[in-house]
Amino acid sequence: MLVSIEWLKKYVDFDITPEELADKLTHVGLEVESVIHLGAGISGVLTGKVTAIGRNPKSDHLWVCQMDYGSGEIVQIQTGAQNVKLGDMVPVATVGATLPNGMKLNPVKMAGLDSYGMLCSAQELGIDSKLLLPEQREGILILPPDTPVGKDIREVLGLTDTVLDIDLTANKQDCFCMTGVAREAAAVLGKKMQLPDMAVKENDGRDIAGMMKNGIEAPDLCSRFANRIITDIKIMPSPEWMQNELRAVSIRPINNVVDVTNYVMMELGQPMHAYDYDTLKDHTLIVRRAKAGEKLTTLDGKERDLTPDMIVIADTEKAVGLGGVMGGLQTEVTDKTQTVILEAATFNGPSIRHTSKALGLRSEASMRFERGVDTGHTWYALDRAVHLLEEMGACKSVKGICESCPVPFVPTVLSISPAAMNTRIGVEIPVAEMVSILRSLEFEVEEEADGSLKVTVPSWRSDVTCDADISEEIARLHSYDKIESHNPMLAMKEGREDPMETVKDGVQDYLASAGLDEVQNYTFIHPSFMDKMMLPSDDVRRKVIRLMNPISDEFSTMRTTMLPGMLATAAYNLARQAESVKIFETGRVYLPKSLPLTEHPEERQMIGAVMTGRRYDLNWTNGKDDVDFFDMKGVVEGLLESVHLTGYGLVPCTEPYMHPGKSCAVRVDGKVIGCFGCLHPTAAANFNVGEETYVLEMELAPLVKAAGTVPQYTHLAKFPGMSRDIAVVVPDTVSMKELEGVIRANAGGLLRQVRVFDVYTGRQVGKGSKSVAFNLTFRADDRTLTDAEIDAIMKTVVNNVQETYKAQLRK
Amino acid sequence: MGMKDMLLELREKALQDLQAAKDSQELQDLKVKYLGRKGPMTEILRGMGKVPAADRPKIGEVVNQVKQTLEQTIRDRAEILKEEALKAKIANEKVDITLPGRKPACGHLHPLTLTAREIKRIFIHMGFDVIEGPEIDNDYFNFEALNLPKDHPARDMQDTFYITDNYLLRTQTSGVQARTMQAHEPNTPIRMISPGAVYRNDYDATHSPMFHQVEGLVVDRDISLADLKGTLELFCREMFGDDVKIRLRPSYFPFTEPSCEVDISCVICGGKGCNVCKHSGWLEILGAGEVHPNVLKMSGYDPSIMNGYAFGMGIERIAMLKYGIDDLRLFFENDLRFIRQFR
Repeated sequence: MLVSIEWLKKYVDFDITPEELADKLTHVGLEVESVIHLGAGISGVLTGKVTAIGRNPKSDHLWVCQMDYGSGEIVQIQTGAQNVKLGDMVPVATVGATLPNGMKLNPVKMAGLDSYGMLCSAQELGIDSKLLLPEQREGILILPPDTPVGKDIREVLGLTDTVLDIDLTANKQDCFCMTGVAREAAAVLGKKMQLPDMAVKENDGRDIAGMMKNGIEAPDLCSRFANRIITDIKIMPSPEWMQNELRAVSIRPINNVVDVTNYVMMELGQPMHAYDYDTLKDHTLIVRRAKAGEKLTTLDGKERDLTPDMIVIADTEKAVGLGGVMGGLQTEVTDKTQTVILEAATFNGPSIRHTSKALGLRSEASMRFERGVDTGHTWYALDRAVHLLEEMGACKSVKGICESCPVPFVPTVLSISPAAMNTRIGVEIPVAEMVSILRSLEFEVEEEADGSLKVTVPSWRSDVTCDADISEEIARLHSYDKIESHNPMLAMKEGREDPMETVKDGVQDYLASAGLDEVQNYTFIHPSFMDKMMLPSDDVRRKVIRLMNPISDEFSTMRTTMLPGMLATAAYNLARQAESVKIFETGRVYLPKSLPLTEHPEERQMIGAVMTGRRYDLNWTNGKDDVDFFDMKGVVEGLLESVHLTGYGLVPCTEPYMHPGKSCAVRVDGKVIGCFGCLHPTAAANFNVGEETYVLEMELAPLVKAAGTVPQYTHLAKFPGMSRDIAVVVPDTVSMKELEGVIRANAGGLLRQVRVFDVYTGRQVGKGSKSVAFNLTFRADDRTLTDAEIDAIMKTVVNNVQETYKAQLRK
Repeated sequence: MGMKDMLLELREKALQDLQAAKDSQELQDLKVKYLGRKGPMTEILRGMGKVPAADRPKIGEVVNQVKQTLEQTIRDRAEILKEEALKAKIANEKVDITLPGRKPACGHLHPLTLTAREIKRIFIHMGFDVIEGPEIDNDYFNFEALNLPKDHPARDMQDTFYITDNYLLRTQTSGVQARTMQAHEPNTPIRMISPGAVYRNDYDATHSPMFHQVEGLVVDRDISLADLKGTLELFCREMFGDDVKIRLRPSYFPFTEPSCEVDISCVICGGKGCNVCKHSGWLEILGAGEVHPNVLKMSGYDPSIMNGYAFGMGIERIAMLKYGIDDLRLFFENDLRFIRQFR
């Protein structure tokens, strides 16, 4: 909220700088985000009168003006604006003047003629054109004709003021107005806040009782509704001081009646509305729920469809306003209006919030009702508005206030234990100080015999409902800076985390140590990613949770697989010339049990990885080979080993997005927990990554159980082992697992290890065959083996391999 | 020539040869030549029979001396030759130490992971449990149980992504407060943090629709704002260094009362004032407060017996300060040139 310092000073007297005040307010919870000095950068700009004006003969747009700005001589200034007329009063940037944009005025020659200064537009003076009357927005700012000549423009336009921009928290509804901020300032500064003058003349001669009726049919939505009537209205611009103050807080002046309702709202926090008396059927205002199907054209000219949870103000025939949100067009105050009904009411905050959200209509009024207005001061607002209009000589006023108040305001009274306050805050604040703090904020406080405090909460503090709220009032005015740090005295205990998280950390560490970089993708993805993954229409991963209000399609569905986001990330990096992308991500996928959601979905923890491009960083010792299936397989094997998961099997993978010949699924306890391998070339093309892109996706949970395994020591071998190499040429359809099986089956119990150290296909072995070289290690626990016994075993192995596969032995 | 003279002459000649030997092979050959079975020494000793018996011990002594001298010389010479050979070998062996090493590949953890782990580590050491909560939650846990009834204006503090009228992407980790209390026996102590992803419908240079928070909750007896300040001071010192100072400023959260924003002295300029702290010397890093009695009540705790504090901090914010990152969007663009800067 914007607070004008000049305006604030009407209610509380202080002479500290705006910056000092800002600091003090911030320290009690009114966070001042910025201090704006209006007119900063303006100097040497004076009001001037156009005493003569004519075209520059050498130009098709320049006007030559003879200006009087009180210097005692007439000064020639040219302008390119087309809205200046003889006798106009305008801002003149004199030679040597500076403007907010840093411009400094020098004499110049334009189209052959001298120009000693510049006539200014509002924009050049740093004024937001939205805050000006429509006729003031284009060209040079034309000032009222009665503006004196030679005055500093900052004084004329209220640009000597300073404005605080306060980031108001949702509980500070009382500070959504000048007097509310003044009250806080007064409490901080040890001063007293003065409410403005509200005396009304009531000089129309009539009584309101004979002129109108009002009523509330929905007391749950409106607890108080009050009106005053003013007559003989003269609609005109409001005085300069009011326009300047409204502009300072970013409200556009319109005319005296509208300006006064806005001014009082800004001053007292009570939104107001004005109706043209003569447009209201039976001069009656009823607060009721909208009828189903009812329509209303609001002040902005839009027809609104109303629903029964909305509050309308109606006459005996039709809705005339959306209570607390926006008035109706038909009953608007116009130039022809003679008599006005002013309204001040207390509408139900949640209802207003609901209505303004439903209609997409937020106004200064609705924002205040949402948070809650001061229902104790409804009459003040009516009186103050009438007072201001009377002061301008703009109306007469009718006697009395017409009010409906089915739910009278009852102040909250709390019984507070000072000791409990101190326990909560952690500081010893004397009772006397607590009392004085609360009274400075206009809480009524009585000290009871039992030591407790009876605190009556003022009507504008509806946020204060319990003793915790009181403790905050005490703490913030006492100052948070005076709270000394203290370490809680708690029983010793170890901090624990979910084993899943510990395993996740381990998985992350392993994958990083294996050369993969960790990424974190948004968990919402574009729905088209499921097509790119070539998932069939009945795939369970297409049952995605959709957001009702996504930022865009790109972020609209919760991922059911890690891979699309990771592949998009891979493509992003490849497009930025990454030689290789080796990435992993741990995170959740979101699997609904039913759609639409009626219960929490499963949030399954997953591991994903993508590898593509160079196997190694370019380095003189490394080859330039790209990653292949066995790089990803090695990562997976190492990962499972790192969590002690050994009993897993690899089975064919049926994922549509995988290359069927270069991928496999990982099975643990009969259940597939994930798969890895080469991306299907079509999927790779869909995601703009290379064909040789290897991916992994696996559930994290199955890794957790094995990860708890504590390795048990086995004795180191006492006797040396013996190793033998064997190379055989077999049909290339024979899998390594199969071949190893034959070897193991024939090598007997002394065989300890079988390692493949070479696989060759090519000319030397002929088409359809491959040569495989194994290294076999034999060892006995009780003796040193002899060559003879190993030679015998090897002979059996070789014979059987040869026989099984018609294999040849390679030397 | 007497036998002794022959031996001495032999010695002289052998010593000359041995000193001239150029490598260990030559030396080995000389050893065979002089001391071997077919060598001159053997030859000379064959003439021992002609020596008078009385002179034999003397001659024997000379023989031994010569033999020992030669053997010693061979050993010495061998040592020298070995050293020379080593020197020559080393002199020829040279790598270009400026060539890059064969570095084992090592990936990088995301800076948010590093930061979250650091935060967890500090709080686990203080006895906090780490509790995870669901990211897709319902209105009750995300709002109502936190003292935010429907149509409460403070719901505007966060733009929510809705899935249905009831289910949503959590806007804060605070929902885990209520979940944790409801999972505990009423009025039993709690000390926990809960890190995780949260979501708000806001996307620009300084807002990401997904970001991360760490919630903290301590519920016990007589837990005050001063205790909160003490705990957070410990945390901030551990996170940002011993010189860091903290201050509390009044603020508002529906689920805490009193509430505060917590600032730390600027870690960039040390509090003198710089662009990062907007010349205030302070950086806002988290929101906190005493748990609102309504929140305790709704989760089955009796606020007249138990109270506590809660806090919530943004992991991105802390990572940005710690690593000097100036653009929030970098965290989720996953440009590897960014991620590879962290370990």
